[in-house]
Amino acid sequence: MGKYRVLLLVISMIAVMTFAALAVTTISVVVSPDNGPSIQYLAQQFMQQNPDIKVDVTIISWETLYPRLLADLTSKTGVYDAFTWDVMTAGAMHSGCLDLTQYFKDHPDVIPSGYDMNDLLPLAYKLGTWNGDLIGLPYYNNTMLFYYRKDLFNNPTYQQQFYQMFGRPLRVPTTWAEAVDVARFFTQAYNPKSPTRYGIALMFPTTHTMFYMFPLFFGPYRTSTDGIREFGPVNFDYGTYFTSDGKPAFANQYGLMALEDMKALMPYAPDPLGSDYGQTIEYFAQGMVAMCPQWTNPYLQFASSPALQPASEKIGIAPMPGVSVAGNWALGVNKYISPEKQAAAVKFILFCTTKESGMAVLKQFAIAPVRESILDSPEAQAAIPWVAALPSIYQTEAFRPRIPQEPQLESITDVYFSKMLSGTIPMTIQSLQSLADQWNKVLAGGQ
Amino acid sequence: MSKSSRKIAILFILPVIIFYLVMAIYPFVSMVYESFTNLNLTIPHSGQFIGLSNYFAIFQDPLALSSIDFSAMVIYIAVPVEMILGLVFAYLIRGLKGEKIFRTLFLIPMMIPGIVFGIAAQMIFNYLFGAANYFLSFLGIQPVAWLGQAATAQFVIIFLDVLQWTPFVFLIIYAGLLSVPQDLIDAAKVDGANGWQAFLHVEFPTLKPLIYVALIIRIIDALKIFGKIYMTTWGGPGTATSSWSFYIYKVGVSYGWDIGYASALAVILLIVSTILVNILIRFLNLGEQLGISKEA
Repeated sequence: MGKYRVLLLVISMIAVMTFAALAVTTISVVVSPDNGPSIQYLAQQFMQQNPDIKVDVTIISWETLYPRLLADLTSKTGVYDAFTWDVMTAGAMHSGCLDLTQYFKDHPDVIPSGYDMNDLLPLAYKLGTWNGDLIGLPYYNNTMLFYYRKDLFNNPTYQQQFYQMFGRPLRVPTTWAEAVDVARFFTQAYNPKSPTRYGIALMFPTTHTMFYMFPLFFGPYRTSTDGIREFGPVNFDYGTYFTSDGKPAFANQYGLMALEDMKALMPYAPDPLGSDYGQTIEYFAQGMVAMCPQWTNPYLQFASSPALQPASEKIGIAPMPGVSVAGNWALGVNKYISPEKQAAAVKFILFCTTKESGMAVLKQFAIAPVRESILDSPEAQAAIPWVAALPSIYQTEAFRPRIPQEPQLESITDVYFSKMLSGTIPMTIQSLQSLADQWNKVLAGGQ
Repeated sequence: MSKSSRKIAILFILPVIIFYLVMAIYPFVSMVYESFTNLNLTIPHSGQFIGLSNYFAIFQDPLALSSIDFSAMVIYIAVPVEMILGLVFAYLIRGLKGEKIFRTLFLIPMMIPGIVFGIAAQMIFNYLFGAANYFLSFLGIQPVAWLGQAATAQFVIIFLDVLQWTPFVFLIIYAGLLSVPQDLIDAAKVDGANGWQAFLHVEFPTLKPLIYVALIIRIIDALKIFGKIYMTTWGGPGTATSSWSFYIYKVGVSYGWDIGYASALAVILLIVSTILVNILIRFLNLGEQLGISKEA
């Protein structure tokens, strides 16, 4: 009899465990390294509040994330249930993303009470849409900032030396032309008294980085009065690179001037063609350079660097001398997964984009907010110094294309710009026209 | 073998055959077919048959054509250097005191994946913090933008390839040297040959087939060079270090999932490697060297 009791107990335990396992919905969330730690943190919080949902977060490098996601969504295999996606890949990703507008209409109860959709910044919201469908909730309103060494710019000795050299006061540059003089001043090879080895950390490698660096320089020309008159207003799907009717807008004197502005700064930067995101962060964090255009989240790395202490006195943050470029991320849900997983994934991405979550990830991970109420919050502004500067930066941002051909355009462009900057091919309007011809081929459907 | 034994044997090898068909033959056939289509994962409803258009496009694609340069550079520079160094090290290490230790240490680079080599190279050749510029500074040499200039970036990739694959050549030749019959060497010495002469006239001819095999393997492998480029230069600056296989990756995976075009590029790579290897086999008379040529 005792034997049967034990057997019954074991069977009951197995049944309970199986039932418990079946009752839990597991969702697989894949994210980029920028978003990774914050999403992992939110997943923990979410699981505490929702024990019936298990969230597995996988962090994948940018270069790998996009192809993997695209392969998953296109082949409809449903490996990933939710994901962060770069808004510039909207055109390529939209076919596999769940239309959240429709989902919210069909499942109004899924939206938690207190979730204010109208509080989401209109631009961030718009970047999460494609053809009018909301395919991703805005998560990270990333943009590029101009980091500089506040202590050096405020130092009376350097101010005096700069005035002697250039006949004008030392100030944080507001144009790229001004930045050249300042960068020269802070480069030891040109000014042995410079406290830093180089003036500015630039990243012009033959990677996707080049594709977002160029708009920093081209943006001011493209969005100038002349630029708007010639090319029309910037279209959100085509971005700053294009005219408003979808033709390449850079194969002209404006594109050339942008490249010349980039080239003019290169002598004052450590290995600009061989440096990428990680290297430039390190150069500024170690106090080797006086200025550094970078995204929002490296701020925490700078603020914790021993070379930049006290951070409040050494790290200055200003709008980009040209214009900034949008680097937004959205949270999407796979269209090709089961309704149960979709429900769990939608619940999770809604949780990640509440005001409370936004405030938490801003403070802990420097994730730029997507909500107006956070941008306006004194608490947020006190937590991270760039918060107060963001609203004005967002107003003049440049945008990369979001059309499906964006990756191919990027691949071709990175190479051309790198060749022009390194002098392998001449930096002329003809070279830019040759690049535009390549773009037109891709846009027409050929290679 | 009886009929039933034959059936059992087939049953045993069937899983391997199925695995091979699914994992190698099917993808290969699929790739060849897709090279004649416009399949692009970013463009809905693509995948139509377009004949030879992808192949014609390759000859008008400046990025594809420029990636031939670096692939050729790896074959013309890295492979011969690896062959010579492998041979020299095999000759020098043999019989040396501490031979086993040297041999083991020498094989370490070969065991490290190309990707890891790439990551290490990024650190070693960093402009401000890298070990390479640090040591050069002792000689009063200004920092070099290793990864930011075409010539130095090419040098870095070729250097890494040599570092990683010289041990492979060494291993083959060293094993060959150890297998040369001692009585042949002794006979040469009795005839008055010194060490170098014995090597040149006795050992080297014996090693020839192995050297040719190593050469062919290295050429095939050099055509596929990818990991070090992926992790170090991403093919730049410009296309200075972009190999054909890296370009296939960029077109096919990283930037755009243009599967049709990437497949055509891959088919071209396959054809080129096959032709190259066949020419080498005939030119070097490898079949006869290895004693596997068909008897007349």
